[in-house]
Amino acid sequence: MDLKNADFTSIFNVATAQNKLLVDLHWFTLGICLVIAFVVTGLMVAIIAKFRTPENDDGSEPKQIHGNTRLEIIWTAIPMLIVTVLGVLTAVTMIMVNPAVGTKKPDVIVVGHQWWWEYQYPKYGVTTANELYLPVGENALFEIRAADVVHSFWVVAFGQKMDAIPGHPTNMFVHPTKTGLFLGTCSEYCGAQHGLMRIIAHVVSKPEFDDWIKQQAALPQQSTDPAAVKGKELFNSATCVQCHRIAGDAEATARIGPDLTHIATRGTLGAGVLENTTDNLAKWMQNPQQFKPGCNMPNMRLTNEEAHDIAVYLENLK
Amino acid sequence: MHNHSTAVAPPPPHPLDSNLKMNRNIMGMLLFIGSESMFFLLLILAYVNFHNQYGTGSMAAWHLDVFKTGMFSIALFSSSFTLWLAEKAHAKNSGMAIVWMLVTIGLGAVFIAGQALEYTELIKENLTISRDLFGTTFFTLTGFHGFHVIVGLILLCVALWVMARGKEHEITEAGLTCVSLYWHFVDVVWVAVFSVVYLWRFVQ
Amino acid sequence: MTDSALHPHSHKPVNWLRDVPEYQGILSWLTSIDHKQLGILYILSAFAFLVVGAFLGLLIRIQLMFPMNHVISQEAYNQVFTVHGTTMVFFVGMPLLFGFAVYLTPLMIGARDMAFPRLNSFGYWVYVFGAIMMFFSFLAGGAPAAGWFAYPPLSEKGYLFNSGQNYWALSLFVTGIGSVATGVNLVVTILTMRAPGMTLKRVPLFVWMILMDAFLVIFSLPALNAALVMILFDRILNTHFFDATVGGSPLLWQHFFWFFGHPEVYILILPGWGAISEIIPVFSRKLLFGAGVMAASTVAITFLSFGVWVHHMFATGLGFAPLYIFAVTSLLIAVPTGIKVWSWLATMWGGKLKFTTAMLHSMAFLIQFTIGGLSGVMFAVIPLDWQLTDSYFVVAHFHYVLVGGMLFSLIAGVYYWYPKATGRMMSETLGKWQFWLMTVGFNGTFFVLHILGILGMPRRVYTYPLGMPGWAELNFFSSCCSFILVFSILLFVYNLIWSFYHGQIAGPNPWNAWTLEWLCESPPIAENFERVPVVRSRRPLWDLQFGSGGDGENYHA
Repeated sequence: MDLKNADFTSIFNVATAQNKLLVDLHWFTLGICLVIAFVVTGLMVAIIAKFRTPENDDGSEPKQIHGNTRLEIIWTAIPMLIVTVLGVLTAVTMIMVNPAVGTKKPDVIVVGHQWWWEYQYPKYGVTTANELYLPVGENALFEIRAADVVHSFWVVAFGQKMDAIPGHPTNMFVHPTKTGLFLGTCSEYCGAQHGLMRIIAHVVSKPEFDDWIKQQAALPQQSTDPAAVKGKELFNSATCVQCHRIAGDAEATARIGPDLTHIATRGTLGAGVLENTTDNLAKWMQNPQQFKPGCNMPNMRLTNEEAHDIAVYLENLK
Repeated sequence: MHNHSTAVAPPPPHPLDSNLKMNRNIMGMLLFIGSESMFFLLLILAYVNFHNQYGTGSMAAWHLDVFKTGMFSIALFSSSFTLWLAEKAHAKNSGMAIVWMLVTIGLGAVFIAGQALEYTELIKENLTISRDLFGTTFFTLTGFHGFHVIVGLILLCVALWVMARGKEHEITEAGLTCVSLYWHFVDVVWVAVFSVVYLWRFVQ
Repeated sequence: MTDSALHPHSHKPVNWLRDVPEYQGILSWLTSIDHKQLGILYILSAFAFLVVGAFLGLLIRIQLMFPMNHVISQEAYNQVFTVHGTTMVFFVGMPLLFGFAVYLTPLMIGARDMAFPRLNSFGYWVYVFGAIMMFFSFLAGGAPAAGWFAYPPLSEKGYLFNSGQNYWALSLFVTGIGSVATGVNLVVTILTMRAPGMTLKRVPLFVWMILMDAFLVIFSLPALNAALVMILFDRILNTHFFDATVGGSPLLWQHFFWFFGHPEVYILILPGWGAISEIIPVFSRKLLFGAGVMAASTVAITFLSFGVWVHHMFATGLGFAPLYIFAVTSLLIAVPTGIKVWSWLATMWGGKLKFTTAMLHSMAFLIQFTIGGLSGVMFAVIPLDWQLTDSYFVVAHFHYVLVGGMLFSLIAGVYYWYPKATGRMMSETLGKWQFWLMTVGFNGTFFVLHILGILGMPRRVYTYPLGMPGWAELNFFSSCCSFILVFSILLFVYNLIWSFYHGQIAGPNPWNAWTLEWLCESPPIAENFERVPVVRSRRPLWDLQFGSGGDGENYHA
């Protein structure tokens, strides 16, 4: 997977039904703002052209104008009218984009961690990390949580962003209307690697999504490659298991770092920092700080061979 | 301000003078009290925020002795009254002013002693500022109030000292009014704090 | 207060600040309680920190010049933008406004000093102490790194354990106390020390806005101080105000901080509006259009500004009603703000414009502030805020308000009042160079950031990946322009120094202006006025020249 092939990253790229509403309101508001900006600039140009003091000025003072009640009423009333219209449209759009959640259960739970994303699909019992999959054409309810500090979840082409605040879960609806790869980045400053806390969202057709979720829900395959077998032993005996979980592995149950159950199915490592290959994974494990300085994964002090074996093991987890 | 001299009488007010006629020091003190009120308002709001949400209200019921603190609070409330008497006596140039000032300071000190006692008992129960949200909000709010009471006591002592030095150094009316405004303010804050922290639970 | 009638010629007028007998020697400055000396000290300190803040800003732009650039580490970058923001708001913006306020207010209302000169000095020195305390953190194990609004839990000990964050909170607490003191001082001065005849209706708009500003300071700073106390206790005494793991509330900080933070924005911009409201009339040779409405709209903004803070929290999922109320107030506040822009334009209309450097800055202010104000309206429309908040669009927005608005207007104010304060004119040649460089540099640096926000670049990222469409090009362009902007700031500082020694002697009223400060000598004598003037209109010096008509009546060219 190459992130450069992502769909155009812009708030005007309408990828969800919600963003359609936002973009429509955006163009309307932007239009009004541009008109006002042009009026002010135009007046300024006219003033500069018309009222500069002439060369042969007699030094007399111009006519002194105290004010003009009618003019003042006009430039109070028209903005009042504009903000009233904007106020009404704001309310309508808010309600349409974020209707009451009621008793609906979330389809996706997003958990912001320093500096990666956890995605849970509670209806399927699936937990994955850093790559979100959504079926096109279905309105998904998101619940946004934070594991440590405040983050903000923002896939740019989905429009709305929503903060992830510890102790205060938030909701939003996402109804993708086109397939593709969509990008974002954590949008609330969250510490050292805020800049590379990337969000990768795949919107796929319903059958593709079903396949994907089925695969994610199943236990990973166990490779019989000798390197992989050795890698698994190393993984379980080294400190890896103190942070990471792999379903079906009784030793690896921690939920501090990203869930690695199906890591081989992901396109990138370190929340979009590296392409997911065996070599890159080995390098990452040997010194994550080189690729994502400040991140919470320490240098595991593995030899080249150990790193390779673990990487082979992990890259077989499909 | 350089050649400041009290010997020169202030010039008579100009007929066109439209300034507020309030004493500057009193106006300054009132604005300062306005600012301080905002500070306490937010501390109280922080307490209220956690009161229901995280059950600190029931912790208050469990740990706080309303009767005992109520008695000490009466000392503080009545000190406002004795300070008012001191002011009245001072305006009449009566020697009672100093007596009432001493009583006021004494009552304030009793309140602080009560607070110290209360803190000691709570800490003995292992209820500290860092134990939980009740400790956090309770000690921060009442602690800042106590700090303001102590500052008020210092101001009262200064005023008393100036008064006691006699006519030549007589504290100006405005100076005494400022000190007393501050003291009444500290008192009023305690009315709010006491109601929220100690009495609120009886309503529920 | 001494009645100067008793000593009619105790001061020999001088025409250069350096020659003022009372201001000889460094000690006279360090121990001063004279509002003019303190005003100048405030402004000089502010410009010193402006240069520091500008270089920190340049460092940010250098880091972001190329994708995956690593000029400084991510830790250093986070400290740099935190200190940049804090410096610009608290150690540049606040002292700049207090400097203008304490220097000009007594002069403009015909008073001899502030109501509490010693408190004035206290306010200044407390600010200096607070600012030094924050910069000291660089030597004490690392600067603060939680951003200028320091959202917990990130600003808690568990996530930022060096002492920088403690220095940050203490420093702002200390400067906050000084600010409240100065705010009280300003209100009392304006309400009790005006010259005879100067009713509140006749005070210059600048003074009126300072009055509103001081009220904002008095009632909003304590909110910051309460929040700072809580975060400090969390960090030092292990309390749990913002610790969600035991029930604390990170959102509480956001409410408290922005309850201060939004009025703060108006605190910063009001003196700029005041300066513009003095400068535009003088260089248009006209009365300020609709001065009454201007004053009333300022009052409206003052009140409304206390009720808009949640618009910084529109993406926190607070629910429809709590968010929507604040959308309404935030939209409403645009109306009185718009009235100001139209009034300034109407003041120029039909005038005889003189394009001095001060006037050029004012005109650029008008356009740039309009852009910043309009993008502000977009943020009030909550669905747009959901798209744009915490992106570079918001960075562009507030730099348009604070640099394009506040800084431009107060630099205009420096060009306008420098002759009064120093006795010498600022170089117009250098000034015009500086103006054009600054306008190009500023707009070049910050306009493109709007587009970066639309393209999804979040704020406060220490770097950004390769291959994001448009990001590399726009960032590169912005960074290049930021060099021009910083150069123009240095040129401005150079002009301040050069003109001090080589500027033309100004005389009392070089601009032929109408407010009381121009009645004084330049620089004013130690107690400002030989005789306290009597005021009969908004423009006492117009009355002096023409006998009457200061409020625009009875004058026909």
